[in-house]
Amino acid sequence: MENNKLSETTKEEIKQIDSRATSVNLFGRVMHYAGIYAVALMFLLAGIVLQSLGIINNFLTTQNMVNILDAVSMLGIVAVGMAFVTYSGQFADLSVPTTMALTGIVAVQMLQYGFLPAIIAAVLAGLLIGLINAVAIGKYKANPIIWTLAVNYVTLGVIRLVWVNKQIYPDMIAKTQRASDLFDAIYRLRFFNKIALPLILLIILVVFLNFIMKKTKYGMQLKITGSAQKAAKFTGINTEKIIGITFIICALTATLAGLTITSLSRVGAWYNGTGYDFKAVTAIVIGGMTLAGGRGSIIGVLGGVLIIGLMNNIMTLLGVGTFSQDMIRGFIFILVVGINAKSLRSMGRDDA
Amino acid sequence: MPNHYEVWGVTMLKKNINKASLLTFADKNRIYILFNFVFLFMTLLAPRFFNVFNLTTIMRTLAMNATVAIGFTIILIIGQIDFTIGTVVTLSGIIGLGLKEYIGFGGSVPVAILAGGLIGLINGLLVAKAKIVSFIVTLGMMTILQGAIYTFTGGNTISLSSDDAFAVSDWLSNMIFPLVTPRVLITLVLVTAATIFMKKTRTGRNFYMLGGNKHTAWLAGINTDKYTIAAFILSGVMAAIGGVFFAMESAAATLNMGTSSLMYVISATIIGGTAMSGGKGGVFKTFVAIMMLDVLYNGIILFGLGNEVKIFIAGFILASVVLYEAYAIYKHEKIVGQRPELLKELEKVQ
Repeated sequence: MENNKLSETTKEEIKQIDSRATSVNLFGRVMHYAGIYAVALMFLLAGIVLQSLGIINNFLTTQNMVNILDAVSMLGIVAVGMAFVTYSGQFADLSVPTTMALTGIVAVQMLQYGFLPAIIAAVLAGLLIGLINAVAIGKYKANPIIWTLAVNYVTLGVIRLVWVNKQIYPDMIAKTQRASDLFDAIYRLRFFNKIALPLILLIILVVFLNFIMKKTKYGMQLKITGSAQKAAKFTGINTEKIIGITFIICALTATLAGLTITSLSRVGAWYNGTGYDFKAVTAIVIGGMTLAGGRGSIIGVLGGVLIIGLMNNIMTLLGVGTFSQDMIRGFIFILVVGINAKSLRSMGRDDA
Repeated sequence: MPNHYEVWGVTMLKKNINKASLLTFADKNRIYILFNFVFLFMTLLAPRFFNVFNLTTIMRTLAMNATVAIGFTIILIIGQIDFTIGTVVTLSGIIGLGLKEYIGFGGSVPVAILAGGLIGLINGLLVAKAKIVSFIVTLGMMTILQGAIYTFTGGNTISLSSDDAFAVSDWLSNMIFPLVTPRVLITLVLVTAATIFMKKTRTGRNFYMLGGNKHTAWLAGINTDKYTIAAFILSGVMAAIGGVFFAMESAAATLNMGTSSLMYVISATIIGGTAMSGGKGGVFKTFVAIMMLDVLYNGIILFGLGNEVKIFIAGFILASVVLYEAYAIYKHEKIVGQRPELLKELEKVQ
């Protein structure tokens, strides 16, 4: 009884002392509890309202929803992988665009030996870039932004040197029709005539990577490493290895996305994947993962990806031009991060 | 016999010249050594490299990026990053040429530079006051500006064809001294002024302090917010100056004229020895790095090699420098706190 009373008063006192916790603005609290899906729901509602007012058509149809998911599945695959890098406190992996291009072009080149060798070669190429990043950033602590930018440039140079500025086409390289068809199917295979393979891949990745991040020993160590790298090191965590692995995960998901985008465009070229680095960062950060590391979740990142998809879809249906869409996206990007940072600060968790 | 050597203005005592100190010296001045090496290499081997015409071409090519890099170096020195420089270059070129019809160059150039400053101000306010990471702010701002540029120009190149515009363009590209055109002169003056400002004035040195340790700088009475905002404004203004004069000289502003600037300026600044962690580096070193990269590119083209070789080598140099710096810190951290004399004693005891 006595004990209970004490805890009651303590709770009251804590509430009074930590008045910062109650000064959170409403939006911040909603963001905190319902996560990013509240925002996604807001966009969905906005779409429905716009449709009911007759401003846009065909928003709430199965086909449109499938289209939205299709459009963002590749971005999602990249983002959930890169989320690990952000979560570990290493900002972002800017070598993703050329990783996608390289794995794609390697796969197309190797199609002459069949479908399976092509996939294996692509994965090996992706793994190589991941390993290079892992050693340089994990072990030698190179600055992640600058290093991955440099790797991006080097890989671009390698692609353009080896293939001498040429594009290569899977149906011309492949010796058998079967290999070429299989490669085409990576993007075009649809289950139940609706759900595309990249979307399935994305769902599998989200479930699998979320499990790794939240339930495994590696995930726990990653969280500590991301929150406070030095503290993690002093508790005996091999932070070099933990950070290195995040870059390998990122390179592997970029490989998947690279194969998908090459299969979609039916051409292996150096420009495949351009822009996916910043798009993925946008999705990750809108999804509530902070650049300081150690905060956020894969599910949140998926929410960020969905928001980008919904936003693009609604704006396109409204007839907003591509470049005006860029502007609006930039505004929302800064706004969301600003509100998120502000609410985190007002809750006494001071970091960006 | 003198007991010291004077090398590049640095006095070295003779007795101190042993292997270790030479290495430190080489490391501190590596960008000058690198530049001299590349320049000598090209002079000796590249066909038609060492003549006034080619060297002037190099100077004219680097003038824009060298100006942009001044601001970016200051941004890196205070430990932030600015991705908007490329789009500010484009935007200022478009404003400078686009408004010329209405208010003449006398009005449009200041407006373009002010626009650059305004973007810097917004970036700075968002970073310093709203406390959003500069990576995010400038990334978002870059997307916004790109959209704005395409929306307002409708995707068209802005080009001038009136006689007086061509007169200005001709004047800007005329040689006034060997190697120096008016646009190059503007760049050189800005680089010199910025170097003196950053090294010799209290305000300039405060930027270093802010980058070295923000908290200490605050405790020392520096208004950190003000300096952060000032750095972003400088970055915007410098990018705008680089862009608008470049556009005036070519009498055309294309929509992607600044796209390659970002990567180029980041590489040069890092290769020049300005650390991304802040507090280190200098404007002049960045300028030398830009000269080195441009001499290298020029030589590659003179050798008859293509763009792909250029990209590969640029990336390779950047990667090597980043890895080298990281490795140096890694090695330093391994031995920091160790006392060799105690270790020796320990060996004796055992």
